[in-house]
Amino acid sequence: MGNIKRLIRGEMWYILFLLPGLCLFIFAVLVPLIMGARYSFTNWDGLSRTVHYNGWDNYVRAFSDSDLWIVLANTFKYAFIVTLLVNFIALLLALFLDSYVKFKNGFRAIFFLSGAISTVLSGFIWKYNYAIGFPSLFKMFGLDVNSPLGDPNYALFGLILIAVWQGIGAPMIIYIAGLQGVSGELVESAKIDGASTVQSFFHITLPLIAPSITINILLVLTGSLKVFDLVYVTTQGGPAFSTEVISTFIYKNSFANFQAGYGTALSIIFFLILVLVTIVQISIFRRREVEM
Amino acid sequence: MKKSLALGLCALLMTLLLAACGGNNNEPQSSPASSDPAASAPAESSAAPTESAAEEKPVTISFMHFKSDVTDGVQKIVDQFEEANPNITVDVQPVKYDDYYTLLKTKMAGGDVVDVFTLNNGAQTKLFVDGGYVEDLTGQPLFENFDPSVVKAQETDGKNYIVPVNATPIAVFYNKKIFSDLGIAIPRTYDELIAAGKKIKEAGKTPFALGWKDGWTLGMWIGRDLPSNTALVENQPDFFAQLETGAAKFADNPATRTMIQHAKQIFDLGNKDQLGVDYNGVVDLFAKGDVGMMYMGTWPLADIQKKNPELYETGIGYFPYPFSNDASLNKLEFNPDASLAVGSNSKNKEAALKFVAFMASKEGGDSWVKNINSLSYVKGASADIAPAVTELQPYFDNGEVYDSQVYIKSTIDWQNQFVQNLQKLFFNKATEDEVIATMDDWVSKNHK
Repeated sequence: MGNIKRLIRGEMWYILFLLPGLCLFIFAVLVPLIMGARYSFTNWDGLSRTVHYNGWDNYVRAFSDSDLWIVLANTFKYAFIVTLLVNFIALLLALFLDSYVKFKNGFRAIFFLSGAISTVLSGFIWKYNYAIGFPSLFKMFGLDVNSPLGDPNYALFGLILIAVWQGIGAPMIIYIAGLQGVSGELVESAKIDGASTVQSFFHITLPLIAPSITINILLVLTGSLKVFDLVYVTTQGGPAFSTEVISTFIYKNSFANFQAGYGTALSIIFFLILVLVTIVQISIFRRREVEM
Repeated sequence: MKKSLALGLCALLMTLLLAACGGNNNEPQSSPASSDPAASAPAESSAAPTESAAEEKPVTISFMHFKSDVTDGVQKIVDQFEEANPNITVDVQPVKYDDYYTLLKTKMAGGDVVDVFTLNNGAQTKLFVDGGYVEDLTGQPLFENFDPSVVKAQETDGKNYIVPVNATPIAVFYNKKIFSDLGIAIPRTYDELIAAGKKIKEAGKTPFALGWKDGWTLGMWIGRDLPSNTALVENQPDFFAQLETGAAKFADNPATRTMIQHAKQIFDLGNKDQLGVDYNGVVDLFAKGDVGMMYMGTWPLADIQKKNPELYETGIGYFPYPFSNDASLNKLEFNPDASLAVGSNSKNKEAALKFVAFMASKEGGDSWVKNINSLSYVKGASADIAPAVTELQPYFDNGEVYDSQVYIKSTIDWQNQFVQNLQKLFFNKATEDEVIATMDDWVSKNHK
């Protein structure tokens, strides 16, 4: 008992400084989350002023909703491909920019620029590119191309291309920072010991930048699982549901179909999925990191 | 040196972005949700436009509308109003139609105040009236400017909540040159329409400009072909009301199959990359004069005039969409477009009513016709909107007009769902029967 008292007295200042942040988190995140979660047990239509509680009905319905599984499959397909491509390309670019090239800073700015454009804007730009820009460009070479966004077989890949183009900037910066933290002596001594460039990359550089990989994969994966803006401005989930992802599905159920209660239940389910993915992913990657 | 340049560039871009994003948060007088509806009574009685502008306090009213494709035109009408009422500032918020109702709903449910907003007569209006967000305007003097039948048609539960503003025929634009070169007469039945389309395709031109990248273009067509065939050919006028309650299914309605077949035929005769080119893209195509036909309201006219004045003056005609093979049924689709409503929690009802009254006056009506290129319901407003539209005069004169939207009484949004399922069919990812089955399945999940 006395121990705890002493502990509190000793750490009081730290606790005091924690309070503002804690309050912000509780009132801006936790309370709204719980208030929102309440609606997932109702059949609220999103507009009427009375709600009717219906227990777990919304959750039962969600698990028997075949559309939800299609939508989840689309979401994960999109998220995994985007995560892989973004990280791979960002790492390549970072390696390129970390070596001795001319106009390094110029290239860095250029590669980063696409990330500085808002998603909505790049969605519009690419929608135009796909529909009018590319077809008229390729026409000059006698090729006939259609917008991938107009074909259910390719629409998701059309979106992935935009997401990659738009998303490589930030991870690239993190990788560059990670690479700059790798001390040159290690690489050099490996070279003296006879390691090839490929060997020294896989056995020295890569393990040392593992923290950057963890954080990048985490950020890109959760970010692309939550994708909404890009899909909404380019395809709105179409054509033929081929780009319908979980957040647009929630949005449509809540607002277009007047089922805010069901929509909230879906959001809660999605929230749990995100938490699960993050925990699994962090626990896998943390194990592979090396301490210097 | 290089670094600072790059930094500067980034900073410049960021500022541009911020500037672009900053334009929308304009809700100067938005107030907490707990506004007391009882305070509205005195405002109503003094609604008649009194010209004591001199000592009145300047007020700002918000006006949200879904005519975002003609933002400039609406702004001109609003400017005209502001000139006549210098103490009222109107904060215009145009929203794309696809997002309009969602945004409005969110705002209303969140307690934001929108003083004046546009609504579509029918299901959407009913929803907002039921929610208690719309001011009852029954008996306002401004309704005297309309034909009683028009006012009656826009009633909701026997009361007037909305003021009809403009109306538009929805029909097929055609390129006169292509039609005369190929010797095609104006099609009066559906089969003739498709035959004309095939002829144009054989001649190496595009028969239909579709713009089905946007959901609403295909949705608009489905939402007219289906109810027209359902009510007029198959004689099931209350089909959609029954659909809502689960008493009827798409499978029981032969018109569903007809509509799906029509959609497929029109898709096959559409512009290249049917689902990749959007509305603006096809208006471009049509304005270039390479396309035979385009199913649309009068909205693209202003655009066509800008892009190809010659075509606009003499090159295009307009005929009713023949949804069936019975020429006597194929009348001209004439729909009310935007109607105006006043928010029940508005703090500036007097100013809002003045604004609505202006829109309903002869001056306002003329201004809509001039700036928006659509017809006005105001008595005596001019009807001279475009050379192409005069071709429809005989239909107006003979009363051969109808409104297919009166048959759709449901509030569930089956049209968007149908759009997506039809897209599956277009790419052979589903058969006719599967589409109908999925739609019925979806309706059963979503009906009340």
